[in-house]
Amino acid sequence: MTVVRWSLVVLGLLVVVSAPWLIGEGAQRFLSEAMLMLAMAQMWNLLAGYAGLVSMGQQVFVGLGAYCLFFASISLKVAPFWVLPLAPLLCAAVAAVVALFMFRLREAYFAIGTWVFSEVVSLLISKTERLGGERGVGLPTARLVDPRWLEPLTFWISAAIAVASVAGTYALLRSRVGLGLMTVRDNDVAAASIGVDVWWNRFIAFVIAAAGCGLAGAVSFTATLYVAPGFAFDPNWVVAMMIIVIIGGIGTLEGPILGVIIYFALREALTVVFGLSAGWYLIGLGIVAIAAILFEPDGLWPMLRGRLGADWLSVRREPPAPALELSAAAQAAGGVRSSPTEFGATPGDR
Amino acid sequence: MTLLEVQALDAFYGDFQALFGISLEVADGETVAVIGANGAGKTTFLNCLVGLIDRRRGQIRFAGEPIVGEPAERISRLGLSLVPEGRLLFPSLNVEENLMMGALNRRPGAWTLARVYELFPVLGERRRQRPDQLSGGQQHMVAIGRALMSNPKLLLCDEISLGLAPLVVDQIYESLGSIRAEGASIVLVEQDVKRAAGAADRVYCLLKGRVTLHGQARGMGLDQLSRAYFGT
Amino acid sequence: MIWVETIINGVLYGGLYGLLGVGLALIVGVMRVVNLSHGEFIVLSAFLGVSLVGVVPWLHPLALLLPVALIAFVLGFVLQAVLINRVVTRPDPFAGILLTFGVAVVMRNLMVEVYGADPRHLQAGRLAQASAGIGDLHVGVLPLLILALSVALFTGLQLILTRTRFGRIVRATADHRDVVRLMGVNPGRVYNLVMGLSLALASVAGMLLAIRASFTPYSGVERLLVAFEVVVLGGLGTFWGAMLGGIALGVAELVGLRLDPNAGPLYAHLLFLVGVLLRPNGLFRGRS
Repeated sequence: MTVVRWSLVVLGLLVVVSAPWLIGEGAQRFLSEAMLMLAMAQMWNLLAGYAGLVSMGQQVFVGLGAYCLFFASISLKVAPFWVLPLAPLLCAAVAAVVALFMFRLREAYFAIGTWVFSEVVSLLISKTERLGGERGVGLPTARLVDPRWLEPLTFWISAAIAVASVAGTYALLRSRVGLGLMTVRDNDVAAASIGVDVWWNRFIAFVIAAAGCGLAGAVSFTATLYVAPGFAFDPNWVVAMMIIVIIGGIGTLEGPILGVIIYFALREALTVVFGLSAGWYLIGLGIVAIAAILFEPDGLWPMLRGRLGADWLSVRREPPAPALELSAAAQAAGGVRSSPTEFGATPGDR
Repeated sequence: MTLLEVQALDAFYGDFQALFGISLEVADGETVAVIGANGAGKTTFLNCLVGLIDRRRGQIRFAGEPIVGEPAERISRLGLSLVPEGRLLFPSLNVEENLMMGALNRRPGAWTLARVYELFPVLGERRRQRPDQLSGGQQHMVAIGRALMSNPKLLLCDEISLGLAPLVVDQIYESLGSIRAEGASIVLVEQDVKRAAGAADRVYCLLKGRVTLHGQARGMGLDQLSRAYFGT
Repeated sequence: MIWVETIINGVLYGGLYGLLGVGLALIVGVMRVVNLSHGEFIVLSAFLGVSLVGVVPWLHPLALLLPVALIAFVLGFVLQAVLINRVVTRPDPFAGILLTFGVAVVMRNLMVEVYGADPRHLQAGRLAQASAGIGDLHVGVLPLLILALSVALFTGLQLILTRTRFGRIVRATADHRDVVRLMGVNPGRVYNLVMGLSLALASVAGMLLAIRASFTPYSGVERLLVAFEVVVLGGLGTFWGAMLGGIALGVAELVGLRLDPNAGPLYAHLLFLVGVLLRPNGLFRGRS
């Protein structure tokens, strides 16, 4: 990376580390929420924008991550942050099993199938008294953390998760797995025909996305110190993820970042400035999402990218140099550029 | 009397140009063959005529009316009928229902269900069967019958011999005689040059979206055709 | 004996589930779009029913089925014409579900704002309590009526699709959207009518369900999942399969509730997941 980029990174690090001393607790909480939402949106984007999997049950991992953290922390009697790594691990394991039967469903059916699974988990937990039942559980072990550090720690961890989600997705997509994923997204039949293991690539994306959402969910509920099935498995989690990605730009890394900014800006504008209730801001967001699908289905980022000429986190690759140089005559006869229709037959072809 | 008049037709799939300045005429009662290799633009041309290609410019006049900007639904009412490449029968409908679909925009004329069954008796026997239970040749018959049910003035046939055994193709081409007899003009798009040229009054040859040859079918030499077809 | 009654009630209830799903199956089959706002329209019909009952309290709720169905038909027509038709022709298979998802979010929260979040109920009076007895077996009259109505609507739908000119056009459009244009059919207009029909059927199911159980603006999610499970179990495109799928789900839910009163729709969902595991193409094969 260049000097400019390195200095930006260092600067960013300094800002994040010093933030808890610079801004109040309310602002920290708000930013933590936004950063965790960014991480979740990146995960949903990884699935839908790169692996071609639209999941409407992603909230199940948010909730499972939270429940995992709460019960691990409570039963091991340690401060919640120590058992944080267990949340993504559990979610990854569950995702691995779920994939085995959910992957039999295609497209829209997969989407709703995951939703059904989420409802099942929610119902099962609601019925289990040992897991808190419908009322849920609190987090008494939060007292093991020095209260002055609770908010800053949450803030730093959220920031770390947000950065990791972007950087990790970037790294994944630049790798071989990433290239495989993108071919699968574009045309899974073609991908399979050139030897890309469609199922395996999607599986990896699904497991990673589950882990990411589980981690973000665990931290998110640590901040609220309370978890119950209604909140943990609330479909509004995935509604938020979807709206953020759709508005910001599906299939791009910058899109969710833009989407999160717009989402929270809209939320604050509608609730604080206009004093509307939560219902109305969801209506407003829904309308914006509908408009996005109708008029700008790729989201706002590609539009901005064109205007700014900026390709910051692009994961596109350069094609290799052509193996043969086409003669000028052959090029002229071959037409303007390659196209989906067949072009030029050799004698004897039917 | 000129039934169909095409002048300087360009057609695009998105940014990609498929047809370059096609000009063509079909007179009343004529059979015109349009030949060319795979990808020459023959199907694109027919799809332009019936209004399925969104981006096209130039002039198309059918029975004196300009139709180049019209949508397919409206063009179908004017008397242009297409037998699409690949037949594209409706798999959820049986033979009779497929034929009936063709009659939705019926103009007055000789072609009725009974008349189609007369032309292709085997269809009458299989009227309640679904397309996937028919042979390739029978499916072609259904496709042609479906196009005939609207009593078109101009029947456009896209590769009606494709994939069929020669004897079956003979049968299909024989039926063209009856179709002509009832007064329809025909445009035959084919890769099989001999068949098409043999059945037609005039021939046009397409290569990479352009007309490379046109004239009377009878006068065409093999050499001439070959050069126009392959572009060598 | 109580088990037999439970199963019978499950069958009757399941007919209703089938009705919930058949509207969805119709649009999936014809335009390959899964309407994620299907559940919200089901609930909206119930709210419309409640509002109308307030306006004409001397009329039995069942008599309101037709007016609400007509309103739902118009709403579906408009929804399709204004919004969904714009994305149906796109190659992206997700545009439709993302769009209808947005519609669902808007509708759900609008209903909360307009009607409030309290549970509502459609009163059916004495009919809800009446039961018929055959020997020791007691079966509710209302569930029997509902099953009869469901079967009638299913049969009507099948007849329309297989015996009428309109049905032929719908099936042909479902097969080849572009080829029907060659025959003068405007696919968009066909879709408008089909969506109207779909929501009209859903509205009947919604009102009947509101008589059996209370609902809130948030009930749409549950209704959608049921409808969807019916469609998938039934075989993605067959209607009688959807009816049987609905019955399977109904039986599973009621039997489950008897074993485990807190379960809610859990056992229906579990049946669905098991079904997907064993036979992802649905329990029944065939085309609509």
